[in-house]
Amino acid sequence: MPDLRPYLVLGLALGGVFAVSGVGMVVLYRATGVLNLAYGAIGALGSLIAWSMINVFLLPDWLSYVVAVVFGGVASLLYGLLVGPPLARRDPLVKAVGTLGFLLILLGIMDWVWTDKAHALILPTTQWGFQLGEVTVNVTQILAVGLAVATTAVTEVFLRVTRLGTAMRALANDREITATLGVPVRRVEAAAWLGSGLIAGATGLLLSTLVGLDAVTLTFLVIAALSAALVARLQSLVVTLVAGFVIGILQSLVTPFSLVSSYRSITPFVVAIVALLWFARRRPVVLS
Amino acid sequence: MGASSVPSHLRAPGRSPSRGGTQSRTIARGAGVVAFLGLVLLGVPALRNAYWELVLLTSAIYTIVALSLALLLGRVGMISLGQVALLAIGGWIALRLGFATSMPFLLVVLATGLITSVLGTLIGLPALRLSGLHLALITLMFAAAITLLLEATQFPNGGSGFLGHSVLTTAPSTLRRPGFASSDAAYYRLVVVVTALMFLLTIVHIRSRPGRAWAAIRQSEAAALAAGVNVTLYKLWALALASFMTGVAGGLLAASGGGLTVYQFPTQNSIILLAVTLMGGIVSLWGPVVAGLLFEALPALLRMWGLPSDLLTILFGIGVLQVQLTAAAGLASQVPKDLANLVRLASTLIRGRTGHQEHLG
Repeated sequence: MPDLRPYLVLGLALGGVFAVSGVGMVVLYRATGVLNLAYGAIGALGSLIAWSMINVFLLPDWLSYVVAVVFGGVASLLYGLLVGPPLARRDPLVKAVGTLGFLLILLGIMDWVWTDKAHALILPTTQWGFQLGEVTVNVTQILAVGLAVATTAVTEVFLRVTRLGTAMRALANDREITATLGVPVRRVEAAAWLGSGLIAGATGLLLSTLVGLDAVTLTFLVIAALSAALVARLQSLVVTLVAGFVIGILQSLVTPFSLVSSYRSITPFVVAIVALLWFARRRPVVLS
Repeated sequence: MGASSVPSHLRAPGRSPSRGGTQSRTIARGAGVVAFLGLVLLGVPALRNAYWELVLLTSAIYTIVALSLALLLGRVGMISLGQVALLAIGGWIALRLGFATSMPFLLVVLATGLITSVLGTLIGLPALRLSGLHLALITLMFAAAITLLLEATQFPNGGSGFLGHSVLTTAPSTLRRPGFASSDAAYYRLVVVVTALMFLLTIVHIRSRPGRAWAAIRQSEAAALAAGVNVTLYKLWALALASFMTGVAGGLLAASGGGLTVYQFPTQNSIILLAVTLMGGIVSLWGPVVAGLLFEALPALLRMWGLPSDLLTILFGIGVLQVQLTAAAGLASQVPKDLANLVRLASTLIRGRTGHQEHLG
């Protein structure tokens, strides 16, 4: 039996970013009904911009990281303002396919501007580490776990306590009635887009350090987060958080077993399939 | 916002999918199809340009894949985001069968189609009872998983064991062509004929019982159920048919020359295929032809002109948004209308009257 402890640490960190991406997607889905599949691409483009600011324009690191996070918020907000309202009354499937268009645009820009050359972005927190028993833990990994837990807690409280959060929950229930009650629907939706985009930007930075700064990889890492969100039925933030950690840890723990090691990346897919099979046991016919 | 509601853009516009129009229109349409087939069957090999022949051959193969996606999307209202991954699986199965047995080529392709059909149906099965969004997500995850799996297994190249991949040889992963179509031109013609057969298979389905059941499901799943349509059976049927056609396309691609590599099937290609299928149009059967050309021939054209093909990815992204926002019927339906408007405008201008706004509208 190999020593699994280092893989547990890696898995926790990976699970943290899966979880925080999942939470960002679920918040947006609950408020606007849009499953943003371009979520990973937004974070990836933000990180690439930060990379260029640091390595090409030689700007200070902290400024670049701030710009990456802000870019995530702005890009997401722009999409939400331009494409959100016209699609607001459409089926969730149509809205999700729309974000695939956004994904392709972002991916095209990344391939065009940054080509497929290798880039690396190492957050300074990665160099700060400490020993935990025999395992080295760096601060980026702790940051990933912390960000996941903090985002979930803050968002959960925000949705329950604040006026804007209540409006978002109302919006999730029924957009028309919420609008009739005098809630500025579009402004609330814009806030959800902005918030979810800021999380996307921050997650992108963490992922490019933990996994690597590659446009395609980061864009499709969203799928693992999606799996966590699916387990939570795109509703519960806490379940998304837990599912994200479970998927990350599972995927990491199978690494030392040579028989399945090279297939470990399909863990999220397997988890999602099992969850869907469980949900599909019985289904009421829904009248549209 | 019910789970089973059908996106309004997936509903067929005014025209009914089956027999519409007068007899003369049917004849004109038939003549158009015959002329098009004659052009691609005889005209293209006559050019004697190996590069464009290969490009159009792969375009024809991707036309089949786009057709399978358009069938799911336009006729039943289901979305698959993993059709290119399924194509890769078809290629893998065809190679495996080709290296393991001495079955004739066409039998290998047929068997590949059937096995892929079973696999594709199994993948869609868990999501079938949930909403359309779930099917889309599960197929997207499937696409990503297949890309990663193939990186580990590679395509069979005559090695031993179940995976059939040997790192020791540099033999390409190609399926041997049949004796009657070993030359490039003959194989190109064979692919075009098989593509035409797939269209025929689709048309037969659309015009008979399954087509009517699909139309009912597309309008409202609950209403279809109430009317006595076996929703699960016909949804599975659609998945099986679409996967069969994609499997056949995979078999054809495996013998197209050069050998299959993992790099031909990145995850984003499944999304790009959805983009071009939407842009080509999911209602008209010409849509998939346009989609196949957009997917394979347009990048080749850009490469020839020395333009970066990344621009196309951006263009396809804009195309998806445009189709979703305006619920457009796609290029295959729009371009003829635009051309007709243009001709009408031109004729009015020539007759000395200045253009009226309504001709533009």
